[in-house]
Amino acid sequence: MAKNRTNLTRAIALLALASVFFITLDLSDSAVTSRMRRVFGTVFSPIENVSRVVTRPLSGAWKAFREYDDVVDENDRLKEEVALQEGAAVAAAASVRLAQELLALNGLPTLAGINSVTAQVIGETPTNYSQIVEINQGSSSGIKVGMPVLNAAGLIGKVTEVFGDRALVMLISDPDYALSVKVVTKSSRTPITLPPLPTEDAPTVDSVLETNDTSSTSSSTSTTTTIFGFTPSATTVPADVVAGAGSKINVPLAGQLAVRETGILEGRGPGTRPIVRFLDATTRAAAIEVGAPVVSSGGSRSLAPPDVVIGVVSRVIERLGTAGPILEIDLVADLSNLSFLRILLYQPITEAGR
Amino acid sequence: MFERLLRLIASRWFRLVLVVFIVLSLQTTLFSEVRPFGYAIQLVAIFVASAGSVHDVRTGAIVGLVSGLMFDAVLATPLGISALVLGAVGAGAALMLRSFRDPPWWLRLLAVSVAAACGELLMPLTQAVVGQGGWLGLRVISAMSVTFIGALLIASLFIPVTRWTLREKVLLGN
Repeated sequence: MAKNRTNLTRAIALLALASVFFITLDLSDSAVTSRMRRVFGTVFSPIENVSRVVTRPLSGAWKAFREYDDVVDENDRLKEEVALQEGAAVAAAASVRLAQELLALNGLPTLAGINSVTAQVIGETPTNYSQIVEINQGSSSGIKVGMPVLNAAGLIGKVTEVFGDRALVMLISDPDYALSVKVVTKSSRTPITLPPLPTEDAPTVDSVLETNDTSSTSSSTSTTTTIFGFTPSATTVPADVVAGAGSKINVPLAGQLAVRETGILEGRGPGTRPIVRFLDATTRAAAIEVGAPVVSSGGSRSLAPPDVVIGVVSRVIERLGTAGPILEIDLVADLSNLSFLRILLYQPITEAGR
Repeated sequence: MFERLLRLIASRWFRLVLVVFIVLSLQTTLFSEVRPFGYAIQLVAIFVASAGSVHDVRTGAIVGLVSGLMFDAVLATPLGISALVLGAVGAGAALMLRSFRDPPWWLRLLAVSVAAACGELLMPLTQAVVGQGGWLGLRVISAMSVTFIGALLIASLFIPVTRWTLREKVLLGN
């Protein structure tokens, strides 16, 4: 009896020490723990799949019980929204295409140039203290740790663990998630309004740029003659984009262009809005409006490519002293109802090799 | 060699690993979707507390450490955190009933529920200790309440299961 107790005590000490050892290894991003997880995942995956099939009727019954009324209401609301959005979507698609063409002409990166993989959410986090979902695509589809994950609305998180045919995605609301973002704000300065011109005198892209250069302190005045395949004045631009045909045009001043404040977005757990802290402490709260869009800032060390939509500013919290304001963000993606996701095959430099 | 292998397979610890696999699969499938008030019932913690309530402190701690390591291998949290927390939950459930010679069924249920709910408090605390803070807040109380009530309902099923799983006298290392 005494021997049994000694053995058990030794086993407890051994397991506790092993736990502390593994925590240390894992926090230092050791490959050993990742390999152990992968091996365990391989063994556990068939058992989990069987369990998923067996318990599907029960989870289906629970969802039906909990969500039926909400689903019916949401369906009605969505039908109305779809009808409203159809017209706007056509116009938006044209604008997006135009913007992508301009970015491509200037050699700037766009999301259109990044391949992606579509995946389905197959599981949620089993604990109350992490914001992780499991998807049904893994390394066999080219997914790697660190890749940004989007749904139809916008950014939802990043890949944190990859297995052969599945992966774990940390949601943007997890307190461990942080991403550099930019907040697009507006300026209050009045634009210059030019009188309508006859059709034959309608300004080209170049002439608009030149006009801008002479009437404001804009720093960007160079034309794009050095870009391969682009001939200035030869670009076909719709009549409603470049002025002409008797309509008035607004030439933006440099100060009237949208201002981009850069900061760090941090998750704060489910049910709580993420916040943005500014890198630049001189940022003034007055310069930021509620409703201003928040997009990823991009850059070589960023976790996501530039201009991925994240959300809009819902509240500006001013702070005393030199500390800049804090922004609360309403995410455009509904994290409580994720189904199909898009993983951008873009691995940030900071995550390379994992 | 072959006899040793057979003895290991016949041991209660091997059976424990198999049973924990099933409990884990239920946790990651059914109980990650069935979320009363938005909180997941911690089935693994309830299982560990049940084991602690029908056995001694050492057995409860070992069941918790083993189950926790397996749970950590599924989660994205640092490997070892759940092991330490569940080890404490198993030992805690046994400690609560230590002074009772033959505790009544309702007291056992209560001990399991309290221990499992305490696990929900210990988890964010331990995460904060290793630098993964941000979870300590009022949310913890709600998570504890859901797991407490879930344990009151489920523990009566787990108590006979843990009795069967750990029934044997063969011990680790023998």
